[in-house]
Parts: sequence; C-alpha cells; structure tokens
Amino acid sequence: MNVTILCGAAATTIPEAGIEGESLWLAPDNLARATGWEWKPEGLCRGSACVPVPRGNAAREWVRETGRGLSVSLTQLARHLGQPVVASPEHGVWAVGEAAEDVAERLRSLEAPDFTLPDVVGRLHSLTDYRSRKVFLLAWASW
Amino acid sequence: MITVALDSAGAVAAGEWIRAASPTHPSLIDVHYEVALRYNMVNVPTAVWIDEQGRIVRPNEVAFADNRWIEYTKFDMTRYAAAIRNWVANGPDSVYILKPGERRSRLPLPTAEHALAAAHFRLAEHLHETGHAEAAVPFFKAAQRLRPESWCYKRQAWALTDAETHYGTSFQKEVKALGGRPYYTPLSFPEEKAQP
Repeated sequence: MNVTILCGAAATTIPEAGIEGESLWLAPDNLARATGWEWKPEGLCRGSACVPVPRGNAAREWVRETGRGLSVSLTQLARHLGQPVVASPEHGVWAVGEAAEDVAERLRSLEAPDFTLPDVVGRLHSLTDYRSRKVFLLAWASW
Repeated sequence: MITVALDSAGAVAAGEWIRAASPTHPSLIDVHYEVALRYNMVNVPTAVWIDEQGRIVRPNEVAFADNRWIEYTKFDMTRYAAAIRNWVANGPDSVYILKPGERRSRLPLPTAEHALAAAHFRLAEHLHETGHAEAAVPFFKAAQRLRPESWCYKRQAWALTDAETHYGTSFQKEVKALGGRPYYTPLSFPEEKAQP
C-alpha cells in the first residue's frame, strides 16, 4: 500500500511502509525523502542537527531490522522532536506537524518567518525577496 | 504590500478576486496555510508589519481598508490606513512601531494543542483535495475542537462543503453564539497625536 506523508506543504508518496496502528516505519531512504532526516552512524540527522538513537532495548522503538533491511519509526522520531503526528491509516496518509516550540521560538526572535508561495500565475515569491523594503503583510481569504 | 490568500482551493477560489483587483503588489496564494502556521494566525484579514531588516514591528492584528465591516472590527479603519502612511513616512520613529517587549507580548505563541490542531487540519485538507471529502470532516472537526478560536479552521472547512449538513452550523450561527464577545481581537492603538 502506498503511504503519503505530509510534512509542511510537501506530500511525499512512499511505495512501501510498515504500518502498526498509527505508527509508521520507513526505510531510511524513504524517511529522508519524506522528512529530510537521514540515518547516519551518529543517529538521525538533518542539516547540522542530530538525534542520537538509543541503544539496547530502547532502540526497538526507533529502529528495527526487517527482511528488507533497516526500518526507522517516523512516529517515534516525531514524538522525540515534539512534532504532532495525525494519521488516517485507512487512506494511507500521515501528517507530521511542526513542533509548537519551534514555531514559538522563531516568533519570539521577532524575525519575520520566511515563506515562498506562488502568485496567481504560479510565479514564486519569498518574503526575503523584499528585504530592505517595508512589508505590510496581509492574509485574507475568499471564504 | 504582500497579500496572501489562505485558501485550500487555491486559485480556483482566490483567483477571481485577485484578477478582479489587478494588484500591483505580490498577491500570493497559500493552499496549505503555511503563513497562518508560521505567524500563528487564526482569522482573516490579519496584518503584520515587517521592517526593512525583516523584523516584525507590529504583530498579527485585524486590518481592513475601510469601515464596511465595522460591525465586526469595532474600530475606525480609516485610522489604520493613516497609521500605515505614518509608518511609511516615519519608519522606526512612527508612534505605531511597537517596542520589542510589546511586540513579543502581543505575539500569539502556539501551544502543543495548537500544533496538533494544525496537523489535523493539514490531514483534513489533503483528504478533501484527494477526493475523500467525507473522510476529511472528522479531522476538520478535530482541528476546530483543538483550536476553537481559529476562524480559519472553521470557515475553511465550511467553505469546502455544506456547513449545515456536515458541521450543523453556519457563520451567522457561530457569530451569534459569541454573545457579544468580539469577533476580532480588539485593535490596540496609541492615542492620536500629531507627528511630523
């Protein structure tokens, strides 16, 4: 069964995953594709950040050997990072949210969070493109 | 000025409004509510003032161009337009620029429950987008339950389907249920005073 992982705006479809209730196990290359977290000797890393994977019995909640090789628990990684995970196993969709503390920390810095979004003809604009100008940012909706 | 349409239906929903306005500023479309998440917004219209260094100098607040929705804002929006002009003319010396401590105290910060609500909303909009509108409803409801102050979660879900059938409510009913409490967080503005 294909599984789709929603991480931020991205939706990544993975052809094979281990599903146990709402827990999701992925091969390391699929985990990296969906989330950017890579399996390395020092643990799970994204950019300069690394999460050491526990050893011994505790490691079983994080990583396991399967007939097809190593499998890593996306659910456990998200829990460790304070990221919420919401799943609809019936539809093969897992949403991994941002950790509240990460969003809060960025806001507390008063640095305006960057974003890159399309205009109506699909041309992308980033907030940082407008650095050195005052920006009046206005969110609206058609609804 | 940069405008961002928070709209799960994307250009299908927001496009006609943008084309009708023919804006000269960047007018963007945010299908997955990325801006709402990063700035922790719960309603529209919501404005943020950002200075030349990319720093927030006035956080989230309601902003209309005129007074057609004064029943909801309870604020004379002509004062708001004048404040923006004052900022453009006076920059960091504008009386409307908040001190860093006040900016932080006004910034709404998300809790773990808010983050969980956002994940439910993201899953719901994906299910809806991929043809599972019925299956999306419980997840939209969960987002609304976890973050009841978010009109974005309510009104977006209602707009994608029949609100009365699937949610047993409507915008008018929900506004009535406020029972006099404000629909928008009241604007906090300095007293009018002369500034060159």
